[in-house]
Amino acid sequence: MAAPLTLVLILSVTIRAVLFRSSLAELISERVEVVSPLNAWKRVVEGLALLDLGVSPYSGDVFHETPLVIYLFHFVVDYAEIVFMIVDGITAVALYLAVQNYNKNVFRKQKYALEADRYPHDCLELMRSPKEMHYIPLKVAMFYLLNPFTILSCVAKSTCGLNNAVMALFILSTLKGSALLSAIFLALATYQSIYPLTLFAPGLLFLLQRLYIPVNPCRSRFWFFTVQYSVMFIGSLLVIVCLSFFLLGSWDFIPSVYGFILSVPDLTPNIGLFWYFFAEMFEHFRFFFICVFQINVFFYTIPLSVKLKEHPVFLIFMQIAIISIFKSYPTVGDIALYMAFLPVWSHLYRFLRNIFLVSCVLLACTALFPVLWHLWIYAGSANSNFYYAITLLFNVGQILLVSDYFYAYLRREHHLSQGLYLRRKDGSEATLVLK
Amino acid sequence: MVLLFVCFCLFVCFSLLVLLELSLMLALLTKATQFFSSGHTNNWAVLVCTSRFWFNYRHVANVLSVYRSVKRLGIPDSHIVLMLADDMACNHRNPKPATVFSHKNMELNVYGDDVEVDYRGYEVTVENFLRVLTGRLPPSTPRSKRLLSDDRSNILIYLTGHGGNGFLKFQDSEEISNVELADAFEQMWQKRRYNELLFIIDTCQGASMYERFYSPNIMALASSQVGEDSLSHQPDLAIGVHLMDRYTFYLLEFLEDIHPASQANMNDLFKVCPKSQCVSTPGHRTDLFLRDPGSVLITDFFGSVRKVEITREAINLTNPTELSLRNELKSEALFYVDQLPVADIIHQKPKQKDWHPPDGFILGLWSLILLVFFKTYGIKHLKHIF
Repeated sequence: MAAPLTLVLILSVTIRAVLFRSSLAELISERVEVVSPLNAWKRVVEGLALLDLGVSPYSGDVFHETPLVIYLFHFVVDYAEIVFMIVDGITAVALYLAVQNYNKNVFRKQKYALEADRYPHDCLELMRSPKEMHYIPLKVAMFYLLNPFTILSCVAKSTCGLNNAVMALFILSTLKGSALLSAIFLALATYQSIYPLTLFAPGLLFLLQRLYIPVNPCRSRFWFFTVQYSVMFIGSLLVIVCLSFFLLGSWDFIPSVYGFILSVPDLTPNIGLFWYFFAEMFEHFRFFFICVFQINVFFYTIPLSVKLKEHPVFLIFMQIAIISIFKSYPTVGDIALYMAFLPVWSHLYRFLRNIFLVSCVLLACTALFPVLWHLWIYAGSANSNFYYAITLLFNVGQILLVSDYFYAYLRREHHLSQGLYLRRKDGSEATLVLK
Repeated sequence: MVLLFVCFCLFVCFSLLVLLELSLMLALLTKATQFFSSGHTNNWAVLVCTSRFWFNYRHVANVLSVYRSVKRLGIPDSHIVLMLADDMACNHRNPKPATVFSHKNMELNVYGDDVEVDYRGYEVTVENFLRVLTGRLPPSTPRSKRLLSDDRSNILIYLTGHGGNGFLKFQDSEEISNVELADAFEQMWQKRRYNELLFIIDTCQGASMYERFYSPNIMALASSQVGEDSLSHQPDLAIGVHLMDRYTFYLLEFLEDIHPASQANMNDLFKVCPKSQCVSTPGHRTDLFLRDPGSVLITDFFGSVRKVEITREAINLTNPTELSLRNELKSEALFYVDQLPVADIIHQKPKQKDWHPPDGFILGLWSLILLVFFKTYGIKHLKHIF
């Protein structure tokens, strides 16, 4: 499988290189859907220039990247395009390997369950065969690399690609079972933007599952491993934060990065939900609604991990989707990461109910974003409500997509335990109703 | 006996005369030293009225009365920059055209016959005022509109109009802030455009305008403190408007008693218009001024007293050709005394020092990465590398 992957990599690098050289690069790097105040390349360059002039890059509310990004780009700022292409390649390869590993595990578990005869007999059509699963890793890599969202994000040189790479490496190290690496990459991802903190629960659940530790609060083994993992995570996070203190010698990256993400002072329009709401907000209620919106991101972890504790990889997918919908400054690069996972759940296609609607909504909104932006900002014949309507619709479409996959996954699990064709007690056909 | 008495009387008278003459000479000497102690050689005045419209008649009358005093005490028109934002003398609402009165019942016409207004009407703007002060005028500006002062000039600046806490309103549409004014004075100091500066302001909350000064050799007076309004003096029922503001009215009365040789000093000026007469509390600021205000004469600022030194001894003038030869012989390079720290004032672009991450950071980061690498993959893999 290495050859097709290399082919896909070469193709994606070609596309990106062509776009870098064309005049579209500047156009794309200014689009608000692709770059946000957190990850715009312009701001990185500005921060590095401020640093060369001897001023802290965090002065003046321009630069909101972490010090490790400063360190990385200080040396490679001239080769930024190659760096971002390499980063996209790393993400794709990490996802490829992770999904390959996951598929192997899934198939192995299915084999054991079939041998133990745990599935009802009419579920045979729901079984997955190696033939269909063979090309899934390649499809995942292709979905990530050739996704127009990723290409746009890479051409705009948005550091969202870096975030995606760290999260992909986290997924890879979790699926390989290495607790230390997974904690370190999770700490790095949380350090970059706070929201991957919610990936702590699925990572923990996966590692527990892999070590065959049942998720039971009464058992000491559970707490032992949880404490180990959380100590590793918190320890590496603290080490990284202290190390970044030593880079510039001051703590003012904390309010600039984390204060900025959490308190959302910049209300530039983007594809998220925060900007319009807080543009209208009275000062009196602002703090309350900031808390509400931020808790909203973190809150879904609890019920989802309770429901999906046997299926941590799906939980990872759901969490990444929820982060990229509800985070304070989302961009299309965040969406590309969870969309790359969709081939993994291609066997759920028969249970998806809204896929046509969702894909139409997403396509239409993607097309309408630049149109309504132009109408609002340049032509002056629309206003922010138009753009916000499309943003709302886009997010509703994403939420519908995610919840559709959730429904399909749970339904398949239900069928695997209860049988595909449901019968009532008297033998007549029953239908499944979602109450 | 009588002769002795007469001789004694003569001697006493003579000694008295000598003593008197000596004391007179001593007084003259101290006066002479005092005379030469202020260090200025020319006087300028910048008099600005910032309000327009007929009901602000009193602001124009304020400025014209100070103009009158200043001219009377010797400053010529070429050294006065007079800025009037509106024309009251020829205003169509003026029942007595070509006059501007300062006392009711038309006692004193401050407009006179030879008023020379340099900036009139809409030319009185914040930008023009600041350009006059700092000297940054376009090359086409005539001399009468320029403040051509040097480092030996004493400048009197008088502002009047409507003001507030920290600003002065110009022309009903813009304002100058106390910070801008302080910075303009600092520019003047750095460009050596004044020796000493007397700043008088007659507006509401006038003391706020001199709060921000930070350049040396500035003395400031204001008609009211922050939070107080400066009030107008008296209306004239024939003309129909208030003619003067209180502070400038009493200032004018004070200045009418000053003549070019008067020895009145700044402490008398501070006493002009106490609270009983002015209702507002006049304020002054002398902390930036190097000399003691008691030794500063009124005529140092309001008059233009030429320094003339009378000597009775003959001076030998050398032959001009010898002089030039001597100059050529000792032709050393002439340079200005290093008063101006140019490197501080003209901010050169700082050298682009590249920032490098500290070594401790790099060391820490890479050692951590190596640690994690070896922890994950074990030491035994090392033998595959080496």
